[in-house]
Amino acid sequence: MLIDINANVGHWPFQQTNCNTCKELLERMDSYKVDFSCVSNMNGIFYKNTQSSNEELYNEIMSDSRFRKRMIPFAIINPIYAGWKNDLDVCASRMGMKGIRLYPLYHDYELTDPSCIELVKSARDRGLIVAFTIRMVDSRPRAWMDLSKEWSLKDVIPIIKEVPDAKYMILNISSGVYLGEEDTKLITGSNVLFDTSGKNLYDLDGLMTKYGKEMFAFGSHSPILDYVTGMLRIESLRDNEADSATRELLRSGNAKKFLGM
Amino acid sequence: MSQIINRRKFFKETSFSAAGIMLASQMKVLLPEEKTKTAYSSIMNEVLRYRKIDAHEHVSLDFPVETIIDFADRLGIEKLAVSRPIAAGVEKESKPEDFRKCNDLVLKAIKQYPGRFLGMVYINPIYGKESLEEINRCIDQGMVGLKVYNQVKINDPLFYPIIEKFIDLKMIILMHAHCGIGVGGKRTKYGNVQPNASVPEDFIDAATRYPEAMFQYAHTGGGGDWEYECKALKDFPNIYVDTSGSNNEANMIDFALKYLGEDRLFFGTDGSFYQGVGTILASKMTDVQKKKIFFENFNNILKKAGNNVD
Repeated sequence: MLIDINANVGHWPFQQTNCNTCKELLERMDSYKVDFSCVSNMNGIFYKNTQSSNEELYNEIMSDSRFRKRMIPFAIINPIYAGWKNDLDVCASRMGMKGIRLYPLYHDYELTDPSCIELVKSARDRGLIVAFTIRMVDSRPRAWMDLSKEWSLKDVIPIIKEVPDAKYMILNISSGVYLGEEDTKLITGSNVLFDTSGKNLYDLDGLMTKYGKEMFAFGSHSPILDYVTGMLRIESLRDNEADSATRELLRSGNAKKFLGM
Repeated sequence: MSQIINRRKFFKETSFSAAGIMLASQMKVLLPEEKTKTAYSSIMNEVLRYRKIDAHEHVSLDFPVETIIDFADRLGIEKLAVSRPIAAGVEKESKPEDFRKCNDLVLKAIKQYPGRFLGMVYINPIYGKESLEEINRCIDQGMVGLKVYNQVKINDPLFYPIIEKFIDLKMIILMHAHCGIGVGGKRTKYGNVQPNASVPEDFIDAATRYPEAMFQYAHTGGGGDWEYECKALKDFPNIYVDTSGSNNEANMIDFALKYLGEDRLFFGTDGSFYQGVGTILASKMTDVQKKKIFFENFNNILKKAGNNVD
């Protein structure tokens, strides 16, 4: 079994992307035998009212039983915009969202903003996963309307310190995966799952030794990044680096456990 | 307060108002665990099915040769065109004694792993006489092309004798390149955002002046705006493009194919091995096109000087 913990649908406004709909994502999943995908709607990064994107995603998933069976929806919530508490409640209790994705750089707030901390605590109390994407795109070839700043892994440390008992997915780690001793201890002592889409994961074997094999899971960051690279980081591991049981953890076991499946 | 919620309780609390409708997020795994040969588990067979020459890789003291060979073996890369350039403004000035040391490092790697590395000479055109001497020294020892960085732009007159030398050698010139926004503090202005790095227009200038020369525009995945680059270079058949770099955006290869065609693209890694292979495998290219980009196109360049791989 294979679970992609980092997929997106929706429009990326600065560049044409393919596979932007649940239908196209499902076709791609089928071609690579991906069983489930955690998916959110990128439109929510750009809408002022992110709830509109969550409604779009929900409606699209509900439109086809195949989507309902294979897509695991994550809401996008902006804690500095009016009505987020109600949005979170609707997403969790009525739309069946399994987690939330936050985009503090795009929505322009600090992770230690009281509203953000309150949102993460609320997500924790509902059993929702909180996902952070270290970067959506490489900032170097960015469009002129896009952000020039990128995070590194250490930038999410403040919220983990604030709410250490929440469940975190940290996606597309492009830099800073090798944390110092204190931050490593915090991460390994928390409930964190990294995906394999980020460019900084060139040594998954070494990272599993550092953080633990239970902390990694397949992620594609589709449709921004290619669908195969995150897979190669797992499948090219040698037998002495990952036995069959470890491979299954990376393909689906860790994700299943994290998602409560 | 820890809130590890019992799954049954969670499902109960998050049940839909619309009865009978369940999302994947709310159900036990229903799909059968046992599958026959699946795409992800056979992806390595697909990787290893293609012969590969990496047209853009480096050796350095910081990146042991053993590590490069390990990645190459893992991903079925037969040969790697390697160099050791010095970046202007980042490292020390590239004087003749410096670039000779760089090339010695490449020669050492070639001897250490016979048959795996193709040497690319590094020189600094500011030192014209010494550069031509160094080219002769390295080509005599089996190197197969040139790799230059950002000491001098590709269309600078200082480069002319170097380009003419490589026309005679029938070998390719791989040049570091970059194209981004923010030039002169202007948010939307494209161009050279690295000191003296060559931009597409510089390549076009050189390629137009020397239509018989072969240029390799470096790393579409290396941080430049690959859409801009591919569109700019579209009509210049003696400019080839390698797809190396860490930025494995999903549409990059198909876009490059659309604008540059299937004969002017080279597979490369520039240290990003998974991305280099992954982007091509994930693309919509046909099997024949993938064979070309992974192996045949660069091998055809090598063939012009008799350095091709059998």
